[in-house]
Amino acid sequence: MKQVPNAMVEQRTTVGFKGVDSLCPYCGVGCALTFRVDASGERILDVQGRDGAANAGRLCVKGRYGYDYAMHPQRLRKPLIRRESSYPKQPLSGDVKGNGGGPRKPGGIVDYDEILPHFREASWDEALDLVANRLAGLRDRHGGDSLAGFGSAKGSNEEAYLFQKLVRAAFRTNNVDHCTRLCHASSVAALLEGIGSGAVTNVVRDIENADTAMLAGCNPTDNHPVAATFIKDAAVNGTKLVVVNTRRPRIADHAEIYLQIHPGTDVALFNGMMHVLIRENLIDREFIDTRTEGFSELRKVVEEYDPDTTAALCGVDPDDLVRAARLLGGGRRAMIFWGMGISQHTHGTDNSRCLISLAMITGNVGKPGTGLHPLRGQNNVQGASDAGLIPMVYPDYQAVDDPGVQAYFEDYWGTSLSPKPGLTVTEIMGAALEGQVRGMYVQGENPFVSDPDTNKVRKALMALEFLVVQDLFLTETAEFADVILPGSSFMEKLGTYTNTDRRVQIGRPAMSLPGEARQDWEIICEIGTRMGYEMRYESVSAVFDEFAGCTENYKTLSHENLGRYGKWYPCLDPATSDGEPIVFGDTFPRGKALLVPARLRQPEEHVDSDYPLILNTGRVLEHWHTGSMTRRSAALDRISPDAFVEINPEDAARLHVVDGAMVEVASRRGSIRLKAKVVPRVAEGTVFVPMHFREACANVLTSPALDPQGKIPTFKYCAVRVRPLEGASHGKEAMGG
Amino acid sequence: MSKDMVKLSIDGRDIEVPEGTTIWDAARELDIDIPVLCHSTRMRPVGVCRLCVVDVGARNLQASCVRPCEDGMKVETDTPKVERHRRMLLEMLLSDYPEDSAREASTGDDELLELAVRYGIESVRLPDGAADRPRGVDLSSPVIAVDHQACILCDRCVRGCDELQHNDVITRTGKGYDTRIAFDLDAPMGESTCVACGECMAVCPTGALTNQALGNVKLKPLNGE
Repeated sequence: MKQVPNAMVEQRTTVGFKGVDSLCPYCGVGCALTFRVDASGERILDVQGRDGAANAGRLCVKGRYGYDYAMHPQRLRKPLIRRESSYPKQPLSGDVKGNGGGPRKPGGIVDYDEILPHFREASWDEALDLVANRLAGLRDRHGGDSLAGFGSAKGSNEEAYLFQKLVRAAFRTNNVDHCTRLCHASSVAALLEGIGSGAVTNVVRDIENADTAMLAGCNPTDNHPVAATFIKDAAVNGTKLVVVNTRRPRIADHAEIYLQIHPGTDVALFNGMMHVLIRENLIDREFIDTRTEGFSELRKVVEEYDPDTTAALCGVDPDDLVRAARLLGGGRRAMIFWGMGISQHTHGTDNSRCLISLAMITGNVGKPGTGLHPLRGQNNVQGASDAGLIPMVYPDYQAVDDPGVQAYFEDYWGTSLSPKPGLTVTEIMGAALEGQVRGMYVQGENPFVSDPDTNKVRKALMALEFLVVQDLFLTETAEFADVILPGSSFMEKLGTYTNTDRRVQIGRPAMSLPGEARQDWEIICEIGTRMGYEMRYESVSAVFDEFAGCTENYKTLSHENLGRYGKWYPCLDPATSDGEPIVFGDTFPRGKALLVPARLRQPEEHVDSDYPLILNTGRVLEHWHTGSMTRRSAALDRISPDAFVEINPEDAARLHVVDGAMVEVASRRGSIRLKAKVVPRVAEGTVFVPMHFREACANVLTSPALDPQGKIPTFKYCAVRVRPLEGASHGKEAMGG
Repeated sequence: MSKDMVKLSIDGRDIEVPEGTTIWDAARELDIDIPVLCHSTRMRPVGVCRLCVVDVGARNLQASCVRPCEDGMKVETDTPKVERHRRMLLEMLLSDYPEDSAREASTGDDELLELAVRYGIESVRLPDGAADRPRGVDLSSPVIAVDHQACILCDRCVRGCDELQHNDVITRTGKGYDTRIAFDLDAPMGESTCVACGECMAVCPTGALTNQALGNVKLKPLNGE
């Protein structure tokens, strides 16, 4: 008789574990999870989904398998100081030097052997004193505006708050920004102008109450995968999806209507839809009269966009445009989601203005199944913005050039502050190039890979007199550093994070810090204190309390009442309430919503016979931004190891490009070499390159042209050409990794 | 209250629940633990494993995870008849179960083996159907190990993939004893359209879908967790 196995397998090592309830470190969905970690606190064993408000136990590939970057052997363990012999500063690795520079070893992650010899290990005291002395020296000689700081949307609210406080109070400048500038800055500009608040009105999962959801310029199955599962749930249960995207996203498989518009024609499409809604009287007159202003101007502008002309301009079927409009109006409950395809344009603010107007004229705000939801990218880009990691505003979007606000914060922080709005990410790079910004503190960002026009960024970083980089790894940006400080990963820190739904949740430390690495919040405080501005806190929760104390939205919250599952802000009574999943039912922060009409503008950059294709950039499911985390995750790297360019079969045939072959993609600013993926999901005349791969860095190609209000670069539109590379017609050869 | 309420008794205890509530859910409210393998609170019940059967006085035993409560119903969840039925089902499932359940060996939470212990089943009287026709393993995914031999066709992974994550990758293929789960049109998992979200692995109750990263460790809770 067969014995029932009792499953004790001798070959296995028994490992004791404890479960730590925390969050996913990746995207803005903010999935709750449990890390199972060994007794030493040095090894995460696995990840389990937890029943959080945003994920109901679900996870995606990054959350479930992408945790091992924190345990990577390349983690920085000691402070590093650049050796005397490595001045004047130059980029150090072949990949960062750019075309033709150095012994090229393309692919994969940074080769430490190439970089580390240029730095020596130092004690924390030596490194911190050097940082504080050099930054204070520049400040005292050239004024506060000669300094700038890039904080991080991957850090906690507490870190973001401390970082902007350091820059404002100790550096004495408002030159502080973070990757929101590359992300939703234009959406936030339009929302602040239109309704007076940059946060979402309705949470993602409210889609279950919607008759229609429009998904514009977003690719949730890749970029917000767990949110996408709830969007797909809704579609199964009858919510009609209207998907607008130049590159067919997988969510389009679940859509009622998919509109593959020509790049850059978003404003025309939305105006065309509003034209139909007004013409067919599918608008909400009462809502327009009582809750909005500016309708007559809007009406005048959208009148110019009749569906036939507009559809031709956008490259879609006029019937689809009309059907899509009808699905949004006529009293149907409609929700609007949008992503970087809307925001990352020189007309990003205009795009968002149109979406806001679409929601307003159909009365689709302030009740279940409606609302405006710009899908936040980073796990804490909402919170970092709320905490004031933005050059024009203090925490809670209080303007730095408002004398009353300035006086309040001078009192709150006990120092004098600059009334001058600071420079944004892209402007800071320009100012560095011109010698106006001389010293920088970059914490947890990697502008060399993430900012547009890499060749310009390289020159800007080289021009800096002093750069301190605080990160987990030797990033491409760190090659330009004078001092490199080893910081803490998500899995090692305590802090709060605000997700795309405005839900504030606590991330808890699962692991111990490697080597001499320190908590990011402590490093920030050390620098401030050593620069002569005392920053001392008893605990992370004390930092939270100080932050919450100068805001409206967070003032009722504390680490204690956030508990295991967090709360949505606003939350009037945390003892009894989970917070507000839907806001603005009666009024908007600015009173009535302002409808701001927009007309289609020509793109800054033109396609011509030299550069005939339009480049779109973005992410893939398995990777995160500049790849510094996900390319150090064994599973994610194995699933998605290589850079690629997606090209339409028609264009590929014309250019003699074969699937899997190496090609060169060139713009007016630079060129990269990578593998071609011939796929119909990109439209003819367009190509797509993901942003994660340093060896084929998409931002070598992109243009630094900015949206005038949001100051966001146009990552979704630049002119390129593609040519096959001779002798590399089989993709397997070069560019491994 | 929009729904009518129904009154019933479970193991002699009275309870009132909204119409449409399943017996399994009602029993949970009374802290009565009815064993089940195919059902999970995160999923639509399908009633395929039949371990949750209960006696409602009908002609045959009823799967409590799908059977709605009825007014006046008297439910018995652990009569000798019910328990005998469950033991037989467990023995059948265990008859071709692999020697080494990758779930039990790594995370120690194989639900089938846990039920075998609960029902005191130490040996199986049935022949091992896999003796001359093993169902095979699939290690093509970088993250998930598939052991078809440990699959009990409970459908949790299918629902996890189709109904929770809506990736529509996992299905069933084959007939009779050769029935097994498949990816796309029976591609190896690593070559299918699987996006490696891991939902199937998370919901699988047996050693069929497990975490490759835990291939050589046995996890044991510290401090009695």
